[in-house]
Amino acid sequence: MDRRNFLKLAGTVSAAGLAPDLLWAAGNTPGAGNAVQHAQPRRRKLVLVRLKGGNDGLNTLIPWRDYELYKKLRPRISMPQHHKKFAANELADSGMSLNPYMNKLLPWWKADDVAWIQGVGYSNPILSHFESGDVWDMAARPGHSTQGWLSHVLPGYQNNLHGIVLGDELGPMAGKDCYAIAMKSPEVFISQVDLVERTKKAAQINNPALAHLANIQSQVVNARDELVQKMSNPRQVGQGFANSVLGRQLESVAKMIINGVSAPVYMVELDGFDTHANQLNLQNHNLSFLADALDSFATAMKKHGHWDDVLVMTYSEFGRRVLENQGGGTDHGAASVQLVMGGKVNGGIYGENPDLNHLDSQGNLPMTTDFRKVYSTVTQRWLGQANPWKQFGTIPFV
Amino acid sequence: MNELTFSEARHLVARTGIGAEWGSIKKLEGLPRQKAVEYILNPAPSNPLPAPYLTPWNKLEPMRDAGAKTRADAWVMAQKEGQRLQGWWIEQLFRTNTPFVERMTLFWHNYFTSSIQKTLQPSLLHKQNLMLRKYALSSFRHLLREVARDPAMLVYLDGYKNVKEEPNENFARELLELFTLGHGYYTQNDVKAAAKAFTGWGVHPVSAKFHIRADQHDDSRKIFLRRAGNFNGDDIIEILLQHPRTAERVTEKFWKEFVSETNPPRKTIVNWAQQFRNSNYDIKTLMRVILNSEEFWSDRFRGTLVKSPVDLLIGTIRTIPYPRENTTEIVNLCRLLGQKLFEPPNVKGWEGGDHWISTQTLLVRASYLAKISRGNLDPRVKTGPHIRARDEKEMLEWLLAVPPLNDLPTTPGKRRLAHALLRDPAFQVT
Repeated sequence: MDRRNFLKLAGTVSAAGLAPDLLWAAGNTPGAGNAVQHAQPRRRKLVLVRLKGGNDGLNTLIPWRDYELYKKLRPRISMPQHHKKFAANELADSGMSLNPYMNKLLPWWKADDVAWIQGVGYSNPILSHFESGDVWDMAARPGHSTQGWLSHVLPGYQNNLHGIVLGDELGPMAGKDCYAIAMKSPEVFISQVDLVERTKKAAQINNPALAHLANIQSQVVNARDELVQKMSNPRQVGQGFANSVLGRQLESVAKMIINGVSAPVYMVELDGFDTHANQLNLQNHNLSFLADALDSFATAMKKHGHWDDVLVMTYSEFGRRVLENQGGGTDHGAASVQLVMGGKVNGGIYGENPDLNHLDSQGNLPMTTDFRKVYSTVTQRWLGQANPWKQFGTIPFV
Repeated sequence: MNELTFSEARHLVARTGIGAEWGSIKKLEGLPRQKAVEYILNPAPSNPLPAPYLTPWNKLEPMRDAGAKTRADAWVMAQKEGQRLQGWWIEQLFRTNTPFVERMTLFWHNYFTSSIQKTLQPSLLHKQNLMLRKYALSSFRHLLREVARDPAMLVYLDGYKNVKEEPNENFARELLELFTLGHGYYTQNDVKAAAKAFTGWGVHPVSAKFHIRADQHDDSRKIFLRRAGNFNGDDIIEILLQHPRTAERVTEKFWKEFVSETNPPRKTIVNWAQQFRNSNYDIKTLMRVILNSEEFWSDRFRGTLVKSPVDLLIGTIRTIPYPRENTTEIVNLCRLLGQKLFEPPNVKGWEGGDHWISTQTLLVRASYLAKISRGNLDPRVKTGPHIRARDEKEMLEWLLAVPPLNDLPTTPGKRRLAHALLRDPAFQVT
């Protein structure tokens, strides 16, 4: 019996001893797993870009029609007005202007492949990185769930590998119901998995704890097998890629997608948005890394015919305080902007412009679009799944 | 009376301690079961390691009210000292001569959770740890009364904000839902009544000790679980202890910790809970009942508990004296594996069991075990841990609770075998 068939059998038999809700919804069901892997239909992908630290929305999309007030609130960190590009960078007739360090995104904006969603957050905002990050990841108040929001969506979408995180934390794919792998890179992951032995007697396990271990172990090994098979002699991206950590991560994602890795969700991370001091330079640089890397990624996807299959979405644990602080930076805030792009995206700017005259008691922008409305949209309109956030409605950005 | 085999002695040691310590197993092997259980239940007195410096409450708390700058400083201090406190317990877990006490303390820490993140007061968490240690095997009544008065708990579940004019229900709710009855045995009105009974219980601003602000206490008549009276917090606890669900709920938690992750037979829980109540909630009596039960010794439940990160990271080193990682690295590994001491994810504590194992934690566990046991596997080389098991059979009985899933290495050598057994999925369970 070869390894692949063995694992298939092992999974089926050991899972049979468990209650149905303990089944890891992976490739054990006949016909849904390995057998049809090669003839897999093209599936939609979601690429999440986490902007770690809390990205300032007001300097991402600049309220240039409110420039006087904006400048007054932020004497040192407002975008200098000599950037006459404000007018050129205005998004539709919104009065909001794209940060000029993100100009690499302009062609994609003009092609209607970029959507911005404004005022995204939640009510009673929490200003701790970890706790607010959990709110975004779990779509629940802190401590109320350890299951990522995608774990309510992906098991219905695909009966196999759900996601690959290039980083430490499974975040939105955490929890028992999701089959996701966190790794530094596919290469490092492959070498790590060599430490895990193939369990040979998994089929005979009737101890539920061991059966669970064997299942997770075979998930890891199966993911390794898939990556080895698809990535050992890969089709190359065949173009230069933005030279940054994020650029390399997105290149890795592009390579996996081009070579048919089956995971529908990929997640990468750009750190450094916690700009308590010297924000203007730090954030501009970070945003240029972001725009350059996204431009490379979009170009690669387009070139290989995958641009219509991917939806890229940024998210961050919170925005930042409207008023600048003593150190030329900003403290933790609330609502911010989210970027979505992809071939099927309905380009545009959604949600209300920030109202600098009406801040909450902490001096933050209040939420005008509940972040779950964005999740609701992705779940229903992009992944076509039963929508746990239906009551929040959807946004026609895709 | 049946005398413990090597494998039974190993089971008792591994389930009640941290790791399958060779010396302890050998001490218990051949003893009658009851006698071995008494040995575990009556550890020699010992003191925990001295605490690291932790900024006192009355210094840290005012910093939070003195503006953004000192508030930020207080936060940084709490984070730094919190890590120091985690390191303190980790060292204690490595070095203790009374692992059962640590195990019980950890159990109660996960039962009566408090976190350095919510409280931002590491010194209070340290005091709470000493309290849990002190009452870990005493009376559950005493323990519960102490927990209700514990400063870290009063902050963690907002008890200190619970005053007559503005009752805060957080502690009352968890007292009913998690610490005693459990869902379905009380109403929202009971939560409200209990919250009122605890109004005025707080932390003294200077001494950081429990104190009751009489003027903040609501001494009106309350109706709680269909009884009426001018109840205070202790009265509420008494009424809860009279309810049969309380003992059952505690017993169910013990089952999951010491016997199995599988659901307990109803009649076992009823029986144990009854004995627990008959003993006037003596925790040691409950433990004695469990450790002498057929269920605890049954083959059916061997290896049905997934090792916690602490058990895996520290217990393995206490089993075989491999060179160990430093404290900072263990703190970090605990984080990666999902068990930050003094920092459980929420008031319910660590879910444990299958939840310890994800694709992410499995790889971290595997790399850790491979790394510590790598060394030189050649038995002729003198360096490397001394392995006292005689032969392959004894190695298997010592290191694994259930037979290995993988094939054994064909090259002989105890170190090589240990390396292989550590990497077997069977090593992850106990």
